[in-house]
Amino acid sequence: MKTIITTIKRVIRISIIVLFFSCETDVSDDINLATFPAKLVINGGIERNTVSPLTAQQLRLTTTNNFLSNEPNPIVADADVSVTDGTNIWSYDHQGDGFYTNTALVPELGKTYTITILWNGETYQGSDTLNEVAGFDNFFAEFEEETIFSPGGYFLKFDSTDPVNIENYYYNRLFKNGEFVISPDPGNAQNLITSDEFFDGQQRVNVDVNGEISFEIGETATGQQLGISKEYFDYLFELFTQTGNTGISFGGNPPPATIRSNVINTTTPSNRAVGFFYAADVIENSIIITQ
Amino acid sequence: MKFYASILFGLFFLTTQAQEKYTLSGYGKDITSGESLWGINIIVGPNQGTITNDYGFYSITLEKGTYTVEFSFIGFKTIIKEIVIDGDMKLNFEMEEDAAALDEVVVTSSKASRNIKSTEMSVATIKATTMKKLPTGLGEVDLVKSIQLLPGVSSVSEGSSGFNVRGGSADQNLVLLDEATIYNASHLLGFFSVFNADAVKDVKLHKGAIPATFGGRLSSVLDIKQREGNTKEFNGELGLGLISSRALVQGPINKDDNGEGKGSYLLAGRRSYIDLFAPLIDDFKDTKLFFYDVNLKVNYNLNDKNRLFLSGYFGRDRFAIDNVFGNTYGNGSATLRWTSELSDKLFFQASAIYSDYEYEVDVLTSGSEFRWKSNIVNYNFKPRFSWFISSGNTLRTGADFTYYNFNPGEISALNNSSTTPQDFQDKYALEIAPYIDFEHKLSDKLSLQYGVRWSNFQRIGKETVSQYANGSPLTYNPTLDLFEENEVVGTTSFDSGDAIKTFNNIEPRASARYLWNKTTSIKASYNRNYQYLHLISNSTSATPLDIWTPSGSYLKPQYSDQFAIGYFKTLKNNTYDFSIEAYYKDLRDVTDFVDGADLLFQENIETQVVQGKGRAYGIEFQLNKNSGKLTGWLSYTLAKSERQVLGINNNEYYPSNNDQTHELSIVGLYKLNDRWDFGANFVYGSGKPVTYPTGKFEQNGLVVADYEGRNGNRLPAFHRLDLSATLNPKEGGNGTWIFSIGNVYNRQNAATIFFRERVDEINNVNIPTGQTEASKFSFLGIVPSITYQFKF
Repeated sequence: MKTIITTIKRVIRISIIVLFFSCETDVSDDINLATFPAKLVINGGIERNTVSPLTAQQLRLTTTNNFLSNEPNPIVADADVSVTDGTNIWSYDHQGDGFYTNTALVPELGKTYTITILWNGETYQGSDTLNEVAGFDNFFAEFEEETIFSPGGYFLKFDSTDPVNIENYYYNRLFKNGEFVISPDPGNAQNLITSDEFFDGQQRVNVDVNGEISFEIGETATGQQLGISKEYFDYLFELFTQTGNTGISFGGNPPPATIRSNVINTTTPSNRAVGFFYAADVIENSIIITQ
Repeated sequence: MKFYASILFGLFFLTTQAQEKYTLSGYGKDITSGESLWGINIIVGPNQGTITNDYGFYSITLEKGTYTVEFSFIGFKTIIKEIVIDGDMKLNFEMEEDAAALDEVVVTSSKASRNIKSTEMSVATIKATTMKKLPTGLGEVDLVKSIQLLPGVSSVSEGSSGFNVRGGSADQNLVLLDEATIYNASHLLGFFSVFNADAVKDVKLHKGAIPATFGGRLSSVLDIKQREGNTKEFNGELGLGLISSRALVQGPINKDDNGEGKGSYLLAGRRSYIDLFAPLIDDFKDTKLFFYDVNLKVNYNLNDKNRLFLSGYFGRDRFAIDNVFGNTYGNGSATLRWTSELSDKLFFQASAIYSDYEYEVDVLTSGSEFRWKSNIVNYNFKPRFSWFISSGNTLRTGADFTYYNFNPGEISALNNSSTTPQDFQDKYALEIAPYIDFEHKLSDKLSLQYGVRWSNFQRIGKETVSQYANGSPLTYNPTLDLFEENEVVGTTSFDSGDAIKTFNNIEPRASARYLWNKTTSIKASYNRNYQYLHLISNSTSATPLDIWTPSGSYLKPQYSDQFAIGYFKTLKNNTYDFSIEAYYKDLRDVTDFVDGADLLFQENIETQVVQGKGRAYGIEFQLNKNSGKLTGWLSYTLAKSERQVLGINNNEYYPSNNDQTHELSIVGLYKLNDRWDFGANFVYGSGKPVTYPTGKFEQNGLVVADYEGRNGNRLPAFHRLDLSATLNPKEGGNGTWIFSIGNVYNRQNAATIFFRERVDEINNVNIPTGQTEASKFSFLGIVPSITYQFKF
């Protein structure tokens, strides 16, 4: 249902620009953003990929920095990171550039994984549950003509059957020649993530992996469908809504606010962390685009 | 009880003390059009007087004797009559427009001298004739934009026809068109208001001191009256502009021997044609974007004492792209009113009103075409008695009955698509609000106006209400400083008509005027208002997708207490007048959104909204120059508006979206000669509050902003200058040219400043770069326009 909002937002935006002589100016140099204390950033989670199993579980820790700074976010190299499923504990090692990995952890369905990070004398904790994802019934690319909202080209699509009577949340990821690609598009909140609220137990057909990104002949297209928790779905919904902000409030943009992490600072709760520690089941497939 | 008893005693006293008193009553009209004139000053002898009511009726009770009666109205020649009162007397009068006085500004805070004498305060009135002389930003005469030039009233954003009164939000304004509530007053995404200036007679805005006869909103009442139509002859007007054109016809019904109709009619219409240019731009050849509206008014004199009025409004906006998307929205309203002069002292009116606001969104993606439809319908019945007890003493009493039907949304499939139809539950409510309002002259110096409104708002079935764990949809978690949604643990079903939740509230209103001397007065007022409807909109602008939600099991009514004092002064024989008002407003249970609220297509809106308190205070100055070649005004407002809501901004006060510290308007109208009129206005406003990011981080390949608090930053200040020139027709001619330039020095005022990740377009795909930028969005640069008007 929510795809319509995306359409409305875009239509309104272009109409205003053309019909009301409006304009956009880069004012980055005129604005001085106050500097705030840096927060811990968690980027990553647990992924169970049955198609191409991962050699290591990986996540990255950094801190926040000024929004208009073009320096990369400072990395966190001195944290103690461990993950538990309630029985086992896996500790992660820093591999450089803020990346922490563990090669022994083999994700299992239905388990709840809890991360504990000790950093700067404070403890951060958060958990997420690994839910099984439905497989692809069909996986293909289809040529579409250019429209006013999207470029022409080959689009990666799939059919998938949702399991009956189970609440499912999905997240699609697209890779081009092995590289993850995403665009900060207003439609992401509706197109990349889905809840089965309106199609429980039914087959969906011709689902775009990412309808914003097209392929050319000869390129390798990889699509993933992730089974995620409701909490991660809600987090991604806010994240995609915010990153897709077109700056025009007519179509409705919520008041900007921090997107709440599931990782809580248990020592000083007001000293929040950002980012989400997720657990996801991943199904994937790849094709080389041909005519 | 004591309160009512003292009123009754007071009335008894007032009506019996007289020895030999008689009533002078009648109607005032415009001699050319035959339309009744509201607000005519009737001054009897040295210190008695009254004004005509909305229907031109007046009544004043006088002791036996000989009097000089003066009828005066701005822009009209004053009539002075000697009368002998030795019995009840009927005196109708017709006023003639004074060509020489027509240059006078009529957008004063009421006419200068009346402003001193009336108990009314915090009121602004505008005549349609004045609105038409003001420069326009987009070449279209706009009632709401004219009002925004007055102190205490600010614009939601540039070019927007949403308005904020004394720091209140746009949904706290009660907008009435011939007594019918208009829920969305904007056309073309908010750039125009829905009121056709040709069809409008008067506009009155109550910013405070709202009389007990009005209720239902916290911040203001915008009371708009449509013209009635010419009772003497048929005529018409045409206006051709760049953005829209309009036409109006009016004339008498059933003319009598004197050439005067027993009634009259007026029909006006507008249609924009901005979209006719769309095919010129390739990307827009399939785009439709237009609005139209129609105003109708008919009135008929059943006899000398009884009149019927029928008025209607219908407007629609259409915005569509072939095979992709369609959106239609608009208001429709109809009012049938009966007025009756029961006696020369007792006036009765009753109105039956229907009002509907609806929108439709069609999504035409092949295979899953569907229509989303939502609307609000309400039926009102408003009877009222006005009892003109004696000079300076008037009692008004009545009740407003309203039945509401909210349809938050239904989805239906189009073109036999596979979309599953869905229907959110309708919500129903019944509101009964009896009131009594009394204007009480205690002495020549001191007058009071006081009253009370009792509002009874009831949510009724048929509805199924969710029950939440912990008894509430949201629970605040103080450790994490956020609201957590509670599980739905069950539902309660209510049958049609069953009471779900009832609210009863008393709303006292009072104001006092002390006449210091002939040119100076001091006024004070206190007001309590309740608002049972909440506009749940996740943006600061008015959007066609606004969702109104009634108070109920989980959403409390909002209420406010407002105190105001004012100083009013006229100078140089009414050439200038000056006023200062200060106000303090305390707001409770105002709504705001939980962080990360998701409002569209949300059936359980209570899980996304929290209620808190607010305060707003400020000082307003206004100086008017009322006559001479150069007329105009200067207004300045210094104000603050804040909110405090649990879970937002660390539970501390934060500036509300409508907080504007300084606001300055300068308006000048200059009459060069009989043919040329010039107008200019300059507006300055400090920047509205916004929330800028406090940090950034990466997540899922995208740069994400982090925020602390709410509304801690300000947009840059806003200012612009608009100019206009009017070429009036030669003697005997009937065409008028209006030239205007909006935003003369092409100031790119910031509508928003937003922060985002830069993207590179590679093979038609926007790929994030990891670099960030701040981007300013501005709507209107310099806009020249030209309009031609023609009368026949």
